[in-house]
Amino acid sequence: MVAVQFYLLLSAAIFCIGLFGILTRRNVLFFLMSVELMLNAANINLVAFSFQYGNLTGQVFSLFITALAAAEVAVGIGIMLVLYRNFGDVDVTKATTLRW
Amino acid sequence: MAATSTAFAFEVAPAIAILPLASFVIALFAGKYLPKGGALAGIAATGGSLLLSLWIALTVAGGATYNEEIYSLVTTPNSFDLHFGLLLDPLSALMLVIVSLVSFLVHLFSLGYMNDEGERGLPRYYAGLGLFSFSMLAFVFADNLFMSFVFFELVGLCSWLLIGHWYREEAPPSAAKKAFLVTRFGDYFFLVGVVAIFATFGTTLFAGPESFPTLAEEALAGAGGGEAGGGAGELSTFGFGPGTWFTVLGFLVLGGVIGKSAQFPLHTWLPDAMEGPTPVSALIHAATMVAAGVYLVARMYGFYALSPTALAVIAFVGGFTALFAASMAVVKRDIKQVLAYSTISQYGYMMLGLGAGGYVAAVFHLMTHAFFKALLFLGAGAVIIAMHHRQDMWEMGGLKEKLPVTYYAFLAGSLALAGIFPFAGFWSKDEILYEALIHGLNDPLLLGGYLMGLTAIVFTGFYTFRMVLLTFHGEPRTHTARNPHSLGWSVKVPLVVLGVLATVIGLINMTPVAEATGLHIEYLHTWLEHGIPGLTVEHYDEVLETVAGYSAASLSPLLPAVLSLALALAGAGLAWALYSGPDPDHHTERLGDIRTLLMNNYYQDEYQVWIAETFGTGVARLSDRFDQSIVDGAVNGISEVSLLSGDRIRRIQTGIVSNYATLLTLGLVVLLLSVGLAGGWFL
Amino acid sequence: MPTRPHLNLGSHLLSGLVAVALFAVLATVFLTASFGAPQGFGGAQVTPSIGYAMFDLSGGEIPSDSFLAAFEIIDLVLLAALAAAVMLARREADGKLIGIESIRTDGGRPRDTTSASDTDVETEPNAAADGDGDREGAN
Repeated sequence: MVAVQFYLLLSAAIFCIGLFGILTRRNVLFFLMSVELMLNAANINLVAFSFQYGNLTGQVFSLFITALAAAEVAVGIGIMLVLYRNFGDVDVTKATTLRW
Repeated sequence: MAATSTAFAFEVAPAIAILPLASFVIALFAGKYLPKGGALAGIAATGGSLLLSLWIALTVAGGATYNEEIYSLVTTPNSFDLHFGLLLDPLSALMLVIVSLVSFLVHLFSLGYMNDEGERGLPRYYAGLGLFSFSMLAFVFADNLFMSFVFFELVGLCSWLLIGHWYREEAPPSAAKKAFLVTRFGDYFFLVGVVAIFATFGTTLFAGPESFPTLAEEALAGAGGGEAGGGAGELSTFGFGPGTWFTVLGFLVLGGVIGKSAQFPLHTWLPDAMEGPTPVSALIHAATMVAAGVYLVARMYGFYALSPTALAVIAFVGGFTALFAASMAVVKRDIKQVLAYSTISQYGYMMLGLGAGGYVAAVFHLMTHAFFKALLFLGAGAVIIAMHHRQDMWEMGGLKEKLPVTYYAFLAGSLALAGIFPFAGFWSKDEILYEALIHGLNDPLLLGGYLMGLTAIVFTGFYTFRMVLLTFHGEPRTHTARNPHSLGWSVKVPLVVLGVLATVIGLINMTPVAEATGLHIEYLHTWLEHGIPGLTVEHYDEVLETVAGYSAASLSPLLPAVLSLALALAGAGLAWALYSGPDPDHHTERLGDIRTLLMNNYYQDEYQVWIAETFGTGVARLSDRFDQSIVDGAVNGISEVSLLSGDRIRRIQTGIVSNYATLLTLGLVVLLLSVGLAGGWFL
Repeated sequence: MPTRPHLNLGSHLLSGLVAVALFAVLATVFLTASFGAPQGFGGAQVTPSIGYAMFDLSGGEIPSDSFLAAFEIIDLVLLAALAAAVMLARREADGKLIGIESIRTDGGRPRDTTSASDTDVETEPNAAADGDGDREGAN
């Protein structure tokens, strides 16, 4: 059996890859993909601990998170469309008007 | 039955002050709808106060006293509390009667002086009188120094309101401001004194085992007993010896007293205060404002008696003021100015009496003076009505036939003021001088005060009779004096009442007669002997002897009495010789430069204005600079820093999502690291 | 024109270092932490148990919470997300947005920056005369 640390390490790696994408990319599409990665990193955690404690709750939760990710992407793409209409681009650094 | 009626009398005692307060409110808000502009409410209120005061006095005469807290403002568990309370003992009961009587008569007189003359602003005037009476009555029965201070200040405010009653003219507002500012200057010291007494004793009660005079006395006894940490150990005396420190406290409070009681050098406001309506002058001089200072010293006499230095200074300042003011009164032309300087002079006598250990004598003079000075001012007011508001004595003359009631009343008051046997002033002033003499034989400072007081008698006799002769005797010198205005009953009644009092009130304490005959007729002495322990004459005498080291030389009171009477008669006789003719000359012109000096009041105003302008402006400029640069600078600096830092820090908000994400992540890393380091996750 | 993927290195990657740092911290913590041996499911059937748990049915072999309410809520959330996505994305025939004209995503500034600068030019004829060309370039 694989010890739970390594699942955690994997999940942390995937999460940080998603985070790296968010921090360095400027395209909204890449943002959405990176968020997917991060969500799935969380799923890995849930499943790993579900196995660790012999309880199914984590697994069921990961299914729900998958559904939520779908909702998030639906709204995210809608936002992306509006962004494109307003700023003529999908570059997130162009939309800087939401500030002082 | 007796016990319950006593308790009930003390229950309703606050109403003595509340009634004039109610008349203040009525006159202020409803005065213009009422007949006589609210005067009747004031008369009813002060009349009620007078009756209640008499009842209290009767109750106190039965041996009962009252010393209770009635309303607590601030209470702190371990240090001190600020409260209003009632202290009813023989002294305050006596003073309540005096104040309410004078106040009542002044209200009555105002009907003739203000209403019948068609003055404007009557509601304001009567509201002022009501508030004035309220403040003074509350000041009189205050049971602690804090409450005294509050009402002391209120009295000052009311004097400002009333002196400046005719605010459309030029002089009264200026005089009102001067009165307010000069007394305020003294009150600064008083305020510091109150705070210092709080800091030292933790209480400002006048009476009882926890009162500050008692604590001070115990502290001195402890220190005198050789125990280094004895009674004084409980009190913080700020590094001074208890005796020195108590003297300092006494001087601080004395600052307020000197301001209010118009003692040298803070007397300059009082002659100017004559710009107010004459009944107000009567009220200020006889019973309320000026009396407040002397009354305060009498109230906390147990404290002053502990400090021979403070007493000697009080006596010397009093004696000096008595002479100083009397000399200025000699040359004045305005009848009210003469009376004003006589007031300063008479209060000087009271201070001399208090300082010389003559507590009873000073209280006695306070009482007789209240009556005869109120009488003189109201008499002067009657003359002023008759003279169509002319006040120059050289325009008068020969009013004796036209105004007989006023003349005889005024004459009674003048005889009392001059100290002619057997009028009131003779007995009280004589007793003060006697006390000053017997204690002064062992103390040069007191002796100096006595000699000055003795000299002032000549001046007093002179200026009093100069005033009477110029006003009432001789031939009328102007058309107005030949056809004076007639006077109504509301003017005459107070004059008659006060005239009778000024004549006979001295009989209650005839010390020389008592000494000579062995009869027990010193009723005022007896009156002040009972009461709350620690506030009685015996106690004061004992403290004066043991702590202040006063010792009385044994001397018959007869000889000094004859001496002062002779001096008063000499002064009066001189005035008679100079001014008794049908058409007297301006004899004061012959004084030449001295007259100019006296007319200009020894240039007191000029030098005080010079001091104020030189030092005051400098201090004000410094304060202004401090305010502008440091206070405002700090405030502006804070706002400047906030604005600037806000302007800089908002640059973090770039509006770029990536930057926000970076900051969030950075924050998370820092948080994880710090929590992890604290929680030992990395071990 | 590059024909193959091109690694874009540059200072924009700098903020990615923070993500790397986070990974370092997490990895350190995880590797130093100790967990017990995993319990596992002991050979029980996982997928049917998930089905039972999701609909509050009894019969699952593996212990779990019940998720019917959560299931329904997720249903609603998905529906709402669908509606929101459609609303955000929809366009009228003539290309105008529907329903969200009032949503301003421009920080409250005048939408039409050129017209705003036109009024500026009108009110400041001198400035316009001095720097007309610059202004045009800036706009």
